[in-house]
Amino acid sequence: MNNIVNPNQLVDSASDFHKINSRENSIDIKNVTVSFKGSKGTFTAVKDISLEVKKGEIVALIGHSGCGKSTLMNTISGMVTPSSGEVIANGNVVKDPGPDRGIVFQNYSLLPWMSVYKNIYEAVDSVLKDKTSAEKHAVVDHYIQMVNLTPHKDKLPGQLSGGMKQRVAIARAFAINPSILLLDEPFGALDALTKGSMHIELLKLWNLDNRNKTIVMVTHDIEEAIFLADKVVVMNNGPAATIKKIVDIKLPRPRNKKDITHDPEYIRVHDELLSLLFDKFSIED
Amino acid sequence: MKSISIKEIATNVAYFLASMAILLGLWHLISVITKAEIPNPASTWIVFKELVADPFYDYGPNDKGIGIQLLSSLGRVSTGFALGSLIAIPMGLLMGSTQIGMKLLNPIVQILRPVSPLAWFPLGLLAFKASDGATIFIIAITSLWPTVINTAFGVSSIPDDHKNVGKAFGFSKWKYLTKIMLPFALPHIITGLRLSIGIAWVVIVAGEMLSGGVGIGFFVWDSWNGLSLERILVAILIIGTVGLLFDKAFNALQNAFSWEKK
Repeated sequence: MNNIVNPNQLVDSASDFHKINSRENSIDIKNVTVSFKGSKGTFTAVKDISLEVKKGEIVALIGHSGCGKSTLMNTISGMVTPSSGEVIANGNVVKDPGPDRGIVFQNYSLLPWMSVYKNIYEAVDSVLKDKTSAEKHAVVDHYIQMVNLTPHKDKLPGQLSGGMKQRVAIARAFAINPSILLLDEPFGALDALTKGSMHIELLKLWNLDNRNKTIVMVTHDIEEAIFLADKVVVMNNGPAATIKKIVDIKLPRPRNKKDITHDPEYIRVHDELLSLLFDKFSIED
Repeated sequence: MKSISIKEIATNVAYFLASMAILLGLWHLISVITKAEIPNPASTWIVFKELVADPFYDYGPNDKGIGIQLLSSLGRVSTGFALGSLIAIPMGLLMGSTQIGMKLLNPIVQILRPVSPLAWFPLGLLAFKASDGATIFIIAITSLWPTVINTAFGVSSIPDDHKNVGKAFGFSKWKYLTKIMLPFALPHIITGLRLSIGIAWVVIVAGEMLSGGVGIGFFVWDSWNGLSLERILVAILIIGTVGLLFDKAFNALQNAFSWEKK
């Protein structure tokens, strides 16, 4: 598969990693516990979680279904309010969802009565208030172009495939130029081929912005997490999920989808993650 | 939208004709049983042709053509229905979008909804000092409820997915209303309007019977006084057909504005 933009403008992984570590925190999760009150009493989804994410870092939250990955992510987006603890994003305590944190929802969440173009335009119009109408349209055109949907811009979401909807959702999140991008199992519904090219697209967009955007993504795909992330956060099984381990991915960027799988570091991290996620590797007779 | 084949159209027309044949058959049977006290379809047809031949004659306040009567009723229904909807839609939006709105307004809706149009009529007369105003008033107040309820239901059932879009991208209240709430609720609103116009059209006859003057309801009452049952039957058929056309029109509107099927 063809790889990301011009590699010359990118720094190699070691210094890149060093650079990231010296940066300020983009997201600071401090002792966050989230409990929901249900009919059967209180359910604690995540318990006393602390996590720091540097500016420009890509972090993958990984864990089994129902382990509270999405809940944790939603505390960053502001969709979920922690029962205790707090989340600081871009220096402010998160209280509500805000346009500084772009969200790509698990199920795309496009408005079905609007064209692809309008779906992105309404978000841009709402967030980039200071721009003129022409500038807003230029932004929308630019991002539709970037995800290769220009020929489909007048279609309704119902007329698009899952991969195309995903690209619209990503274009919409990028178009409002947030400093933090939150992706909730963004590629979960896609076939392997589309998924692969979407990974590249995502990194492309990230590179074009000089790797300044912080990306937090929820996934349960180990390969995806390793290919994209600087840091993989492995979560324990819920309820009351905690962080099991944070695994740093020190693979050089740009990463090549095909070559990376032969890298010894890749294999080591892959094994480590696998054993963190699965206690048993075979069925005991 | 799906295309309809000629064969399908032909089948539908055949069914409609068969249905009408059953209606005429029953009608004829009843006429025979009642020894022609209820006029049969044939004699009604003759009167229908007479009435339709000159629908817009005007020989003074108590003798006007069926066309004038019908148009006058349609005018009242549209006015009453439009006024009712202008109240109903915002009220439904308010009820559907806020818990407080729902809790405050729902009891009022539930108490006023079952009240017969006839019971409202004296209040209308009192308020408007004119029978025309009173008729429009009772149409408005009895036809608005289905629109209120359906609008409220539509708005309250907006999926979290759609609401989250508004939250995540910081939509203003106005943008949320016009880009998320109204488009989502529109098919429900139109369903409400469809039920409402049906009620409005039912109420007009009762209203005009009380109010007198000009109108299809008055025409029925006047024909009864003149002991022309054929004219009453003609009026009933016209009322039914117009009701059917209203329903078809709103059905078409429903299809045109439904984003789900596209």
